[in-house]
Amino acid sequence: MKRVGIVFLCVALILGFQGFAMAKTLKIGTLSPLTGPYAQDGTDILQGVKTAVAVYGPVKGYDSVEVIPGDSACDGGKATMAANKLINSGVNVVVGAYCSSATEPAQIPLMEAKVVQITPASTNERLTAKGYEYFFRMPPRDDVQAWSTVQFLEKKLKAKTMALVDDKQTYTAGLTENITKFAKEKNLVKIVAHEYITPGDSDFTAVLTKLKRIDPDVVYMGVYQPEGSKMIQQARKLGMRSTFLSEDAVFHPKFLEVGGPSAEGVYLTFAQAPDTPERRDFIKTYKQMWNAKAVGSYAYYAYDAGMMALAAIVKAGTTDADSLQKVIRGNTWPGVSGDISFDAKGDRKIAHIVWVVKDGQFVPFWDPLTGKDL
Amino acid sequence: MEWSAFFLQQIINAIFLGSIYSLIALGYTMVYGIIELINFAHGELFTAGAFIGVIVLTALQQAGFVETHFILTMIIVFVLSMAYVAVLGVAVEHVAYRPLRTSSRLSALLSALGMSIFLSNGMMLSQGVSDRPYPQVFGLEGIEFMGARISNGQIFIILLSFALMIGLQLFVHRTRLGKAMRATAQNKTMARILGIDIDQTIRITFMIGPALGAAAGVMVGLQYGAVRFDMGFIFMIKAFAAAILGGIGSIPGAVLGGMIIGTIEVMWAAFLPSAWKDVTTFTVLILVLYLKPAGLLGESDAEARV
Repeated sequence: MKRVGIVFLCVALILGFQGFAMAKTLKIGTLSPLTGPYAQDGTDILQGVKTAVAVYGPVKGYDSVEVIPGDSACDGGKATMAANKLINSGVNVVVGAYCSSATEPAQIPLMEAKVVQITPASTNERLTAKGYEYFFRMPPRDDVQAWSTVQFLEKKLKAKTMALVDDKQTYTAGLTENITKFAKEKNLVKIVAHEYITPGDSDFTAVLTKLKRIDPDVVYMGVYQPEGSKMIQQARKLGMRSTFLSEDAVFHPKFLEVGGPSAEGVYLTFAQAPDTPERRDFIKTYKQMWNAKAVGSYAYYAYDAGMMALAAIVKAGTTDADSLQKVIRGNTWPGVSGDISFDAKGDRKIAHIVWVVKDGQFVPFWDPLTGKDL
Repeated sequence: MEWSAFFLQQIINAIFLGSIYSLIALGYTMVYGIIELINFAHGELFTAGAFIGVIVLTALQQAGFVETHFILTMIIVFVLSMAYVAVLGVAVEHVAYRPLRTSSRLSALLSALGMSIFLSNGMMLSQGVSDRPYPQVFGLEGIEFMGARISNGQIFIILLSFALMIGLQLFVHRTRLGKAMRATAQNKTMARILGIDIDQTIRITFMIGPALGAAAGVMVGLQYGAVRFDMGFIFMIKAFAAAILGGIGSIPGAVLGGMIIGTIEVMWAAFLPSAWKDVTTFTVLILVLYLKPAGLLGESDAEARV
């Protein structure tokens, strides 16, 4: 009797596993900083992808869709470890990472394992310059951003002098380097100082006092949102007269919330998306799903990356990276950040506009492509 | 901006940063002085203080209390935050350090690290991962003199931190409890023979040290406008360096160390390439320890401790 029981158990176990193996699960991995100073953006990205999976609903050919989060912590080593972990758990596509300094090393294992990777946030131009055919990028590149910034300085602000501040990371250092390069072309804007801060620091008064003495027309904050929010407050407390200009990593509702009245009048570069019903629906769904007051700037790109990946997998009828990348590249996809189509390198045709903080809101201000006010 | 005004402004910046580091460093030094343990959870206690501060302050601001009773609001915020963290400090001591008091120092150190991770994750789960804005009750107003500018918030914070430091010094040297603390630090066995309640003395140390850290946490929130669950780390590293630099176990040493670390950080960024700021801070620490291993005001024999 006992033996029969064991045989039954074995059969049951084997059948059980069979059943388990037959349930086809589509696995989407995410890489974003879920811990550390940039955990807010990282959580936005994870939630954006999860919203996409929920909104998309059942995927043809699969019983379920699973989102596997990876913590890239804005750190190259941790991002690579997280990427390998995602590969081992058999993900079909990866959305991530956030910091360029984390995305760059994480690309290597993902590209070797032939996994399609879509970054919703990393903007350093090196990422798409390596000829990786499975790599796609949602936001515009930093050289585009730097060009827009310099256009704004020369044509709209007509600034004569500028000081740069950056935190020495891949993204920020690349951006300030590009701005320096573009500014030197016409030499209308003179870069009079280049100062550095440490990521995670709170006190920037020493560097700001130094800039107050130089008194440039414009101070460029090449930092991430947590540091930017604190820096602008300290600058106002010091009574600095310069105009403050910043970039897409500071463009986050948190900057308005933490910066408060100090954030007023700060200019920022970020891509503008058309106000479509889909975008409004997404904002509504996202706020409901995550009980959020505002949608983080990179949640839009993450949502688009998730939606596009699911649609492309259905269209390709396979998760094989070679076919998938051809389908992604060969089509135009609708998105809440505007229509999505990629060039040969995996970059989107999308550019920044200049925004200004007015009455606690980001308001479109100037378009570098047309040179017109918005 | 004139050079003299520039220099004065940087001195203000340095004193401000230094007094924050000093307050946090005091917590390290007091605990080390009395039980020879580096309390790695101190950075998290500091953060907890900042969070209690933001919760209380936001509530009071919404009730419209800030405009009508400004001084009273500040007293309530600081007292509640310091009291809460004092209780938390005692709880940490009771749970993580007391059972290990007789075992090897390495176990206590690991227990401290564990406590730090536990508290940090607890705050992440309860308070969220993102920056929490601090109500800017001081606004942007300040005093302008000789071209330099000091905000009202900075004046308040510098005065309060000096008051706390002087108060601590008086407490340790002028009261019976302070005497008991010094005796316990010098020789626990002898202190016990003389009728000092060692457990109670250690408990009081674990109330005062973290409470000072909590005050620093509220100050950081008031000045920098935001708090986050992991903000304790970077302050902890700097304050720890300050405590070591001044001679761990010595109260004036912690204050001196904090001021020195703050000054080096600010002055280096002010006059030399700011990219090298942190490198210099820790190079100075290494140099001081190389030349004077006990720190600036530390004594190698236990007698001078606390």
